[in-house]
Amino acid sequence: MNKAKTITKADLKRINTIITEYSQQKWPLIPLLQEIQNEFGYIPPQSIPLIARSLGIFPSQVQGVISFYTQLYTQPRGKKVVRVCRGTACHVRGGKTILKLVRQHLDIEEGETTPDLEYTLETVACIGVCALAPNIVVGDQVHGHMNPKKTEQLFKHQEVEK
Amino acid sequence: MQSITITLDGREVSGYPGTTILELAKESGIDIPTLCHAPQLTSIGACRVCLVEDERNGALLASCVTPISSGMVINTRSPRVIERRKTIVKLMLASHPDSCLVCDKGNRCQLRQIASDLGIGLVELQRIPQTASIDEVNPFLERDLSKCILCAKCIRACQELVVEGAIDYFQRGFTTIPATLNNLPLENSECTFCGTCVALCPTGALTEKEKTYRGTTQTIVQTTCPFCGCGCSICLEAKDGQVTRVTPGKESSVNKGTLCVRGSYGCDFIHSPDRLLKPLVKSNGSFKELSWEEALELVITQFQRIKDESGSDSLAVLGSSKCTNEENYLLQRFARSVLGTNNIDNGGRLYNSASCVGLGSSLGFPGTTNYLSGLEQSELILVIGADPTSSAPAVGYVIKRAVKSQYAKLLLIDPRQTKLSMFAHLWLQPEVGTDVVLMNGLAKVIIDEDLIDEEFVARSTDNFEAFNEDLKKYTLEYVEEITGVAIQQIHTAAQLYASASRAAIVYGTGITQHMTGPDSVKALANLALLTGNIGHKRGGVYALQRENNGQGACDMGTLPMFLPGYQGIVDAQARRRFEESWGVSSPTSVGLTALEIIKQVKKGKIKGMYIVGENPALSFPNSRLIIESLASLDFLVVQDMFLTETAKLANVVLPAASFAEKDGTFTNFEGRVQKVQKAISPLGESLPDWEIILRLAEKIGAPMPYSSPQQVMGEIVDICQLATYSSYEGNGHAEPETQSLYQAESSSQLGVGRIHGGQFPTGFACFCPIAYVPPREAKKSYPFTLLTGSIPNHFGTGSRSSRSMRLKRFSPEAFVEICESDAKRLAITEGEKVKVISPIGEVTTIAKITDTLRQGTLFMPVSYPKTPVNELFDIDLNPETKAPSLKACNVKIEKL
Repeated sequence: MNKAKTITKADLKRINTIITEYSQQKWPLIPLLQEIQNEFGYIPPQSIPLIARSLGIFPSQVQGVISFYTQLYTQPRGKKVVRVCRGTACHVRGGKTILKLVRQHLDIEEGETTPDLEYTLETVACIGVCALAPNIVVGDQVHGHMNPKKTEQLFKHQEVEK
Repeated sequence: MQSITITLDGREVSGYPGTTILELAKESGIDIPTLCHAPQLTSIGACRVCLVEDERNGALLASCVTPISSGMVINTRSPRVIERRKTIVKLMLASHPDSCLVCDKGNRCQLRQIASDLGIGLVELQRIPQTASIDEVNPFLERDLSKCILCAKCIRACQELVVEGAIDYFQRGFTTIPATLNNLPLENSECTFCGTCVALCPTGALTEKEKTYRGTTQTIVQTTCPFCGCGCSICLEAKDGQVTRVTPGKESSVNKGTLCVRGSYGCDFIHSPDRLLKPLVKSNGSFKELSWEEALELVITQFQRIKDESGSDSLAVLGSSKCTNEENYLLQRFARSVLGTNNIDNGGRLYNSASCVGLGSSLGFPGTTNYLSGLEQSELILVIGADPTSSAPAVGYVIKRAVKSQYAKLLLIDPRQTKLSMFAHLWLQPEVGTDVVLMNGLAKVIIDEDLIDEEFVARSTDNFEAFNEDLKKYTLEYVEEITGVAIQQIHTAAQLYASASRAAIVYGTGITQHMTGPDSVKALANLALLTGNIGHKRGGVYALQRENNGQGACDMGTLPMFLPGYQGIVDAQARRRFEESWGVSSPTSVGLTALEIIKQVKKGKIKGMYIVGENPALSFPNSRLIIESLASLDFLVVQDMFLTETAKLANVVLPAASFAEKDGTFTNFEGRVQKVQKAISPLGESLPDWEIILRLAEKIGAPMPYSSPQQVMGEIVDICQLATYSSYEGNGHAEPETQSLYQAESSSQLGVGRIHGGQFPTGFACFCPIAYVPPREAKKSYPFTLLTGSIPNHFGTGSRSSRSMRLKRFSPEAFVEICESDAKRLAITEGEKVKVISPIGEVTTIAKITDTLRQGTLFMPVSYPKTPVNELFDIDLNPETKAPSLKACNVKIEKL
């Protein structure tokens, strides 16, 4: 089932409130974007013209800032972000296979989010625990010494649900 | 200011603090290559090609963003600089396609030029293929971002110059591109296709679409745009007798390197297959070609016959606010001294006579009081009854720039939402036709709250007491009731306007084409006088002109009651001066205005007409009646580029050349006299209007002593007594006010703008008490108020813009805008065919649902010949100006 969020009138109202709060500040754009993202998990594209209008800049400029920073998103994100490490150590210990398996289990590609908004899949260059390679991080939790079995266990419930 | 001296390539040069190395180098004649710098844009140091070395410490500096500091020892061509510069350009080339041979930018590509100047041969770096071009259906411009070098000239042009903000950088690193919101094609974005970015793009990333490969331009001629009253300077590039490209003029203080879609892409009407190439005569209802000799012979015999049979005043002439000053001057001389009648008027009657009369009677000066540069420096801009973003784009850019970069406040008064609403600090939406009450209300608040400039009022104006007395009845409650604008808002607006130290008023046809046009103009002038916002360098009253030479045609006396330079027909002394110069006597009685002429045609009093470059069959109200009248004429000569709706009614049609095929001058809405220069020879057998008039005069046996427009200008300068023309020295786009402004600045006095010496021509300006005349009560059966206006992609009656292939393709059809709730109530859906009906006529068009209108109002564009909106209007003349009301009328709308 696709639970992709739609923005309701109440959401827009809330966004407008946030905008009003921040628009009086100096250099408000980035804190404002962060606040909206904190609240909604992403920056709904519908909010871009509203933000632009209240700050007296162009919508294309707001989009320019959002697309520049990797921490800001205009697409909904999963509840848990899965980061598969593709650093050197993880790579030689089979990180590539782990990534392939995660892709299969979640049925999404890198950078995508599952339709039920549970998981978003990303890769990272290194998470700094090479001794445990290959690693993946699910939410805040680091999982070391990954292998196909452990991968399956981590995401089994996801597949059943499908 | 203390100047700073630096060493530049071994030479000591000095400049003011804040000057960049690049600017100083340019001044000193040293060439530093650059790809991202343009003088009219903010420098951002994006391309790094302009690197120079400071020899004191070996620092490599981007010269476009580094201000000079004392003691600098700059080398622009040191081996290190050259080496780095080469590497930078090579990196750009490594991700640039090798398609130079087939690229339309060809030899104009700055990247290629710089690469070849630097002697870069094969690039040894690994190639990085770039994204391919973007599919776009618009007929104007093409984006091939594989050729983009990310100099951001397009982005800055869009944000800083034309202030649309359609594009900005998108993504980062290798994936960066200039993109619209959501990376949509341009036609789905805010883009207006003004073409400013295309003119600035250094590579082939942005090019003009719909071109056949034409090779290298042979000649480039700087001239003046023939569309709206802004008078932007444009460059016509020509090859083999064809205008191949239009770009913004290089140095002009009107448009500063910008243009609009009409200027950039609309001039292809020049080579329209519809152009008339030979004189035509009508026999048995159809047109036949004939030679110039025969055509002129026919015209003069008929004019002579009518003159002999029924007297000179049975002839009438309609001049054109699109033709040059010289042509208008010749035409009125032809009418007065050869035909012997003052029955001469021009199409400007329809939209600017309210300004002439209104400003004339309150300021004594029939036009805009200041220059555009002054508008950009205003603290507050009051825009009323105008959508400059579509009717006068260059003015629109100036207003938006003032708001964006000069932090000016914008007070917008318009019942319809326009693009400027986004920029407005306060937007009032009065009921249609109640402007006078609103202005009087504002004036009353200004006086009551003691916001007036007492010194100015006492020193420079007259009739304040009577005006003040008259205002008594405009209580805020009354104003609110009539206009529908809340008291609080009236207060705020008055305070905004009066408390700004320099406030400007910009108005357009939303004021002048109403029945009460001259009254509203006077009311606006009153506001400016109360607050002393006239005669200063900033602020002032800006009367937008719809046509390129609306101001000039009036200045040149193509008017029934004025000789050139607004010298009255009834002024015997003035008349004598002209008679002496022309060597003939001229008629003494005031002639008929345009619409009066038509009425007299209907009555059979006017038998012959000579219409030059106007299309009354479309531009006048009640088109059906106009067409009937013109068709009933004994003899009608129309001189035009195309077989317009009016020309179809003519007995003889004389083929005129376009603006690109003649020399002369246009006067823009500011009163700036600007050069029009010939870029190509007249097409076919067509001739410039001035030459046709001279030939006619010669044929009739009253030759005029000129052989070129320059000679005509000589006479205009001598005889018209107009300061703006006297200072014209034929050097093109000179800015006549520059000198006086600088003088004013150096003597630490306020500048004077166009009103010379800070003095009104009549000594004092005059407050005019104005009575409010309510718009005619609408009949119940016609419940909607229809507003008409211009749209960005077409122009005037559309006789030229509808023959521009690209403009036509982009917006082929007229439409009527209706608000959502009205549409719902009448069950009208988007794109549905509807009929708009007034008591006078009806037109069929397509409905477009919009959120820019209030309930009960409709909007239709005027520029579609196939949907003649003016058919809906009655001929209802203002008693003062004899101009018809063409802005608003009562209609009903029906589904088909």
